[in-house]
Amino acid sequence: MPAHDAPPATAQEPARPWDVFARARTALDAFEHLVGGIGTAILALITLLWLVFTAAACLFGVGLFLVPGTLRALRAVAGRERVRLSRWGPEVIGPGPSPTGLRQAVADPATRREVGWVASHALLGTVLGLVGLTLPLTSATDAAFPLWWSFVPPSEATPSLGLWTVTDWPGAFAVSLLGIGWFAVTLAVAPGMARLQAWPGRRLLTPPPGTDLVTRVAELTATRAAALDAHATELRRIERALHDGTQNRLVAVTVLLGASRRAVSRGSADADALLERAQDAAEQALAELRAVVRGILPPVLADRSLTDALSGLAGSCPVPCRVDADVEGRFAASVEATAYFVVAEALTNVARHSGARAASVTVRHRDGRLWLKVTDDGRGGADEHGGSGLAGIRKRVEALDGVLTLASPPGGPTTLEAGLPCGS
Amino acid sequence: MRIVIAEDDPLLREGLALLLRAEGLDVVATAGTPDVFLAAVDEHRPDLAIVDVRMPPTHTDEGIRAAVEARRRQPGLAVLVLSAYVEQAFATDLLADGSARLGYLLKERVGRVEEFLTALERVADGGTAIDPEVVAQLFARTRPDTRLDRLSPREREVLALMAEGLGNAAIAERLVVTDGAVHKHIRSIFAKLGLAPADGTDRRVAAVLRHLNDAHRRA
Repeated sequence: MPAHDAPPATAQEPARPWDVFARARTALDAFEHLVGGIGTAILALITLLWLVFTAAACLFGVGLFLVPGTLRALRAVAGRERVRLSRWGPEVIGPGPSPTGLRQAVADPATRREVGWVASHALLGTVLGLVGLTLPLTSATDAAFPLWWSFVPPSEATPSLGLWTVTDWPGAFAVSLLGIGWFAVTLAVAPGMARLQAWPGRRLLTPPPGTDLVTRVAELTATRAAALDAHATELRRIERALHDGTQNRLVAVTVLLGASRRAVSRGSADADALLERAQDAAEQALAELRAVVRGILPPVLADRSLTDALSGLAGSCPVPCRVDADVEGRFAASVEATAYFVVAEALTNVARHSGARAASVTVRHRDGRLWLKVTDDGRGGADEHGGSGLAGIRKRVEALDGVLTLASPPGGPTTLEAGLPCGS
Repeated sequence: MRIVIAEDDPLLREGLALLLRAEGLDVVATAGTPDVFLAAVDEHRPDLAIVDVRMPPTHTDEGIRAAVEARRRQPGLAVLVLSAYVEQAFATDLLADGSARLGYLLKERVGRVEEFLTALERVADGGTAIDPEVVAQLFARTRPDTRLDRLSPREREVLALMAEGLGNAAIAERLVVTDGAVHKHIRSIFAKLGLAPADGTDRRVAAVLRHLNDAHRRA
């Protein structure tokens, strides 16, 4: 999969020259990417400084202790950029776990490429991001120039770049025209700038040509094994639930029924109490059977759409929850079942642990993936290792070769996002 | 008859104890794990143990292993194994050291109280009780080229009931024939399976075991 030469998704929309709205939309997308790029660029800058510091410290020996942590930080920051780029372009596949020592790191081509990326993105990414931010501000201030120029001291009445000093109204309107010109320039160059800002990442964070397929195959093999494992675990769980739960309850029913028949034939008064216990056991069996079936494939998905099913989930959530689903048609049963499971578990967490007053579920179909986002305004601090079902969510998402990100700073808000490949 | 019950499902354990006590049997202890069960056997020296196959911690064959261990500690202890499903390997594991005082029944047979009590008594008295389902499965798996192929349909029926652990009179009653007819069938079965009358072992058990082993090897 040649990840780096495919055009980004936003460029695929044919922006006809006279279609201002389409252009504006493309430019807006580009701004979003540029701003996001500033985020990773600042991280890259910090990482770059830290790398230099570690390298310097290594000269004195003490830096060697910092190497593993630095390498992990490098991989984490690069990983963040990979996720960002994958969200709006072809997927950027990352390498496996980071090397642990200096020697392996130097020998590892992926790490060397990541260092190159950190350097170029820290500089180029920051500059492009800042320019990209300044452009619309400039065009807005200049376009509005006739509204405010008379209120500032004459010496400061200049266009944004301070090219000349304006002294009269025609001059002010000329600046306004300049602002409109800036706007046109912005529309024209923003998408290109966003692509340029992403370029080092698309170039250097993808596996080097040649290892591409190997990595992909390794990753697919791993996820396939995980899928089979998850499948086997699932089957074992169902078997256990049926055997030790439902079946034992039904056996108890037959035992108690047998006992009550004997009691009846003896004319003993115990028969009614025994029958009541038998009935209890039968009801328990039914309840357990329902739970098992629900866990396999929620019946609601069989005859209603995913959106309806998720609305049902949101409706039964004790925390007020809004569903914003913009998807059409049906997906593969495994994708829908996993989506349902993810949202159900996430909302259970929201209700149990977050203390949130409101939650929202967003569903989108983009770039061949079904994206699910569950957000709440609770206290945050959700931990994947805290036994809150998040590990189970990750397992099920990864079994489908999907991605899962969790952001839950202390104090909230908590955002859980899952992307499930759905083949279209 | 003093009985110890080992069953990890509390509802079922209490149900069983309730049933047996109502029938006037002496349930001296109940256990939810193999360890508690073995301790109870050591303490009470029961006549019979009723053991569930699946028990903690792994819920696979702990019950069978506990039963084998209990018989090692107390030779001659009658054991009736209850299982949620038929697993031939369990049956052959259990019967490896002979079939006297052993039973292997599906759990739901307990609900047919009269038959269950008969099986219980038979096992306690030194006999065998093998679930019809187990026997049926063994017959179903038998390939046409085995020695059993030489048996007539009626003889197969008789062998199946023998495998369940029934005596001649009980078999005659079940098939609605005379004792003499059953006797004739059994002699014919022994002859066809090559079990000589001079053999010291219990030929009934030998016939069943040969059949079990045969089917197990081919499965």
